[in-house]
Amino acid sequence: MNFQGEVGLEQESDPFFVFREAFGFIPNFLRAQSALPRVIAAHAKLEQAVCLRDGAIPRIHKERILLSIAADRRDNYWVALDTKLLTSLGVPEGHIDHLLNDCEHAGLLAPDLALLEFCLKLSRDSSKVAIEDIEALRAQRLGDEAIIEAVVLTGLALYRCTLSAALRPEPDVKPRALPPRMIRGAGETMPATVGADSQRKAKRRGPYVPAPYLSPNTFKPFAVVQQSHGYIPNFFRAQTLRPDLLQAELNAVGYILLPEDVLSRVQKESILLAVSAANLNSYCVAVHCNMLRGLGLSAEEADQIAVDYRLSDLSKAEVALLDFAVKLGTRFSEYSTEDTAKLGSFGFTREQILEGAVVTALNNFANTLQMGLGIEPDFEAPSIFEKNKVNPSGAAATLMAREGALLLLETSQDPDAELVARAQCGKLEAFEELVRRHTQLIYRSLIAILGDAEDAQDAMQDTLLSAFKHIGGFEGRSKFSTWLVSIARNAALQRLRSRRSTESLDQSDPDKDHNFRPRQIAAWQENPEQSHSQAEMRRLVEKGLLQLPAKYRVVVMLRDIEQLSTDDVARQLGLSVPAVKTRLLRARLMLREWLSLHLVGRSKGAAQ
Amino acid sequence: MITCEEFFAEFADYLEDQVSAEVRQELELHLSQCRACHVLYDSTRKTVKIVSESDSFELPQDIFDPIIDRVMAKLRTDPS
Repeated sequence: MNFQGEVGLEQESDPFFVFREAFGFIPNFLRAQSALPRVIAAHAKLEQAVCLRDGAIPRIHKERILLSIAADRRDNYWVALDTKLLTSLGVPEGHIDHLLNDCEHAGLLAPDLALLEFCLKLSRDSSKVAIEDIEALRAQRLGDEAIIEAVVLTGLALYRCTLSAALRPEPDVKPRALPPRMIRGAGETMPATVGADSQRKAKRRGPYVPAPYLSPNTFKPFAVVQQSHGYIPNFFRAQTLRPDLLQAELNAVGYILLPEDVLSRVQKESILLAVSAANLNSYCVAVHCNMLRGLGLSAEEADQIAVDYRLSDLSKAEVALLDFAVKLGTRFSEYSTEDTAKLGSFGFTREQILEGAVVTALNNFANTLQMGLGIEPDFEAPSIFEKNKVNPSGAAATLMAREGALLLLETSQDPDAELVARAQCGKLEAFEELVRRHTQLIYRSLIAILGDAEDAQDAMQDTLLSAFKHIGGFEGRSKFSTWLVSIARNAALQRLRSRRSTESLDQSDPDKDHNFRPRQIAAWQENPEQSHSQAEMRRLVEKGLLQLPAKYRVVVMLRDIEQLSTDDVARQLGLSVPAVKTRLLRARLMLREWLSLHLVGRSKGAAQ
Repeated sequence: MITCEEFFAEFADYLEDQVSAEVRQELELHLSQCRACHVLYDSTRKTVKIVSESDSFELPQDIFDPIIDRVMAKLRTDPS
């Protein structure tokens, strides 16, 4: 089965932009995932937070670590790509050779070498990592932020390598010959023995790094976890020193695990459970057993998957899916394209196989973090789960993933909720009050799309009638205002179609978007608007707005005029947050050009 | 010091005040030494302010009232 990009890549989708910026081109491992853009978005979040910026560890050293782990696993794809990256960051070939052959003599500073060796150890056999390893890093004056970053970075390296084992992307650049013998034998995993596991437990006192309390009130992603799990698992608590990394991980979880459009949540949790069990990761086994029970499996069924899924009541196809995941997740060097084909013969689609591989990669990421940070079990007794069942609602989960992490928090606080309930019972006064509250928002959404005041006023009427007709179907899964804007948007688009306009809201123009550079470079006065009346300024801005392509106008009007947050704009328009940011910047720059033309000359004149 | 390209890559987040303290420091150092980027930043920031305060496309009450009244009248007579 071939994953290589038959599906057209949507150039504008921003995760691609992230990678193109980082690598200078779109690497093949992304093309191989193009059938499922949301998993690319998840990967982009992780890369961005963990690797592509200087954190507690400088970017260049992170790239060295990633390269070393890829080489250790004999992953030619990543070795080639990471080498190219390091070269582009100015690292000489000779240094890279040293790094690959004999990192101890690569001229690294002692703390850098210690970090590299720690990450290699964690990647080879995470069960061997203990508090002493963490203390050895601290002795090198490495801070806890750097230690967490190193652990998460190692997780990311394993995520990448697991994916490349499954997807077999074509190398982007000429592969580099690896030295014949690495520190350890070619690409073998060393599964921990049960004995070692119980021995380690006796001496372990986790978590290894301090975890300051992070309140769901101030750190919103936790509020969502609280809602969906009923508690904040220690897995997340253990990383509170680095909310930036947590945020990216939670985003990735949202993109990969929560939607049910490809594999079901039960299938995905089963993969996580079976692969964690094969990795002998008792923490993750406990978590995923409990998740499966929350999703409706009996305790016995979940336990059976952990102990030996082949003896469970699962169908042959489900067993094949777990066989695939376990082999990929734990014996990747034996994994071949035949395994992919075999899964296909059980009727799994390309998207499902891809998602299965991504979930397996995410599992290895999570297992690595748990071991590397010494994360302790959450529960004394499983009975806690009877009260706080994990969120079993697939629809709600999908929505949560789609609409972003803050949704649940916000809907519970929707100030319109009470009026909506009354309007849904047919109370016209309640409905009238609701639409009056949101008149300007509706109108601006309409004019933003239609670009014409009269049209917008006509569409306003359509919108209100349509809103009343459909309000019974509003289930409160988003804010009412979000829903109302989506109704307005539909009304406007319908009108656009009847006008047979060719302008599309989704049309992309990648070159213009990414290579846009400002032309007007004359400095502005301190308060350029003061040389104009408020009415003049308003006309000028409106004229500028009407000249923008609709897709930019919509974004800038909702953000800068209606003052919605970027997240809300993304939700209202069904766009990703990065896409909104790109369009917003572009819109602001175009307006800047427009205002420059009209303000700079004149205000200069006024100043003289 | 970071390049203009690198500055531009962070520009959107910087305008939204969504960069970390370290990044901010880098960007501000760049701004203090690069006139072109400084002009770009300053004028874009002012653009956002002007647009935000413009009250553009505010629909006056004497236009939206009749629209709402019309709709409500229609709903009262024929709520389906």
